[in-house]
Amino acid sequence: MSAFEDEMRQAMASHDDEAPRAEDLLRSLEQASPPRRWLAGWYAPLAVAAAVVVVVAGSLGGVRLLGHQAGSAASPRPAGRAVALACPAKYAGEVPWVPAKPVGVDGRSRLVPQQTPSSALICAYPGSNLANRQTGWLLSGQRSLTGNLAGLATQLSWEARRLPSQQTFCAGVGGPQTNYLIGLTYPGGGTLWVTATDSACDSASNGEFTSASGVGSDMSRAFASGRWPARQPASCGGAVDSGRLGEEKALVPPGTTSLTICASGKARTFTSGYQAVVGALDRLPAQPTKGYCSSSPAPPDPMYQLLFSYPEGPLVSVYVAVGCHPEVGGLDLQSASASTVMPIIQQLLKGK
Amino acid sequence: MHLDDVLTELVADSGDRLLRVAYQLTHDRGAAQDLVQDALLRVYRSVRRRGLAPEDWYAYLRRAVINEYVRTRRLRSSTEIVTDTVPERAAAGSLEDRAADQVQLWAALGELSERQRAVLVLRYYEGLADHEIAALLGCREATVRSLARRGLAAMRPLVAAASIEEGRA
Repeated sequence: MSAFEDEMRQAMASHDDEAPRAEDLLRSLEQASPPRRWLAGWYAPLAVAAAVVVVVAGSLGGVRLLGHQAGSAASPRPAGRAVALACPAKYAGEVPWVPAKPVGVDGRSRLVPQQTPSSALICAYPGSNLANRQTGWLLSGQRSLTGNLAGLATQLSWEARRLPSQQTFCAGVGGPQTNYLIGLTYPGGGTLWVTATDSACDSASNGEFTSASGVGSDMSRAFASGRWPARQPASCGGAVDSGRLGEEKALVPPGTTSLTICASGKARTFTSGYQAVVGALDRLPAQPTKGYCSSSPAPPDPMYQLLFSYPEGPLVSVYVAVGCHPEVGGLDLQSASASTVMPIIQQLLKGK
Repeated sequence: MHLDDVLTELVADSGDRLLRVAYQLTHDRGAAQDLVQDALLRVYRSVRRRGLAPEDWYAYLRRAVINEYVRTRRLRSSTEIVTDTVPERAAAGSLEDRAADQVQLWAALGELSERQRAVLVLRYYEGLADHEIAALLGCREATVRSLARRGLAAMRPLVAAASIEEGRA
């Protein structure tokens, strides 16, 4: 063997300590464990052989390791330790289900931390929302995201919280549905799972924080492309990524960068001069939203959808509809009358 | 959900060794763990379907890890270092003298194609003979020798370039 080959052998050996350990693998397998029936028949001879090997080798840590892992999952993970997540073999609960609650990062105040994750792994579980069993859907594929993890963090960290009294309006249909899990790891060793589905009727959740809206369409696109999709600009007439943290406190949370006014499918966007609209909305006496407005007998007229954009994260959508009750409404707050707001909006539109 | 005790014992017995081999192949902790986990699950399904119990459990799983690595990496990447000339022997007094930096060697190993890397890891890390590597990879012994030779040849300019770069800095 040449000196070069000998050097290479030593170089390889010098990295042994960097490899993951069996306990890390056990933790992942614990989440991705195959059904027990797989282990029932064929495995018996192996079980005996393996037991002999284990005893002869004096490796007594197996079962204890498992117990240790189960215990350590609930305790804070040591800072700085790299962690790898693995997709569970099946989606083991009803939506929204995650395999573990956040560890080492705050999962209570936001859907994900305002921090770019070190890695993101998406797991897909196709099924049907018409099926009798809404749990146990099997893993069909997984994908590590390689792009725009910062965008993922900024979008998901600003997702609005689902309030207990909140009603959901969605256009879900019966049929095929895919449930997703996205496993995030963070510098310092924190981990967090978020679940979402491609149904418009399901919220996203990390096990401690449940969002008001779903992010399943983004999950689908990320799963297909391998990178988190870029944020879409405000547009009228289509699906709008709205529902922003802070809407429980103000119709228009601070920090807007532009306003898009939608009326009859047409859009006008203002990057300045619209603050009077924001001020008027925030001065309205507001109450928790109890539902979308109802009108009778004639449809509301005029009716506007106001889309407020922010430097990052979801939009804020507010409707203003004269003749509808209530006349102003956002995700979490609504107000009975648009009488003070409507003239300002119309003035803005005329001035453009 | 808890793992079957047998699986737990098997991982306790072979997990560290498999993970170290996987890490040598991937140079990435997460990828190494994924690799071993995927191989384990593949073996489950295969053995269940075929009803075979391997005599050497570690060797069986190692084979699954290697095959999984070659298979998946080939799907993910077409990057392969191609060398036009394959020196039978290194130039005297050149590389052996300069390649002492193990960091550069490790990095250079990471630049090789998946099959070249697999051969070198099996030969120099696992200490397998070429005929054993050939059996494991399902190829001829001559192919193993060729892959090893080309792998070593490809590493030399990478290590040399790194040395030159380092010398400039």
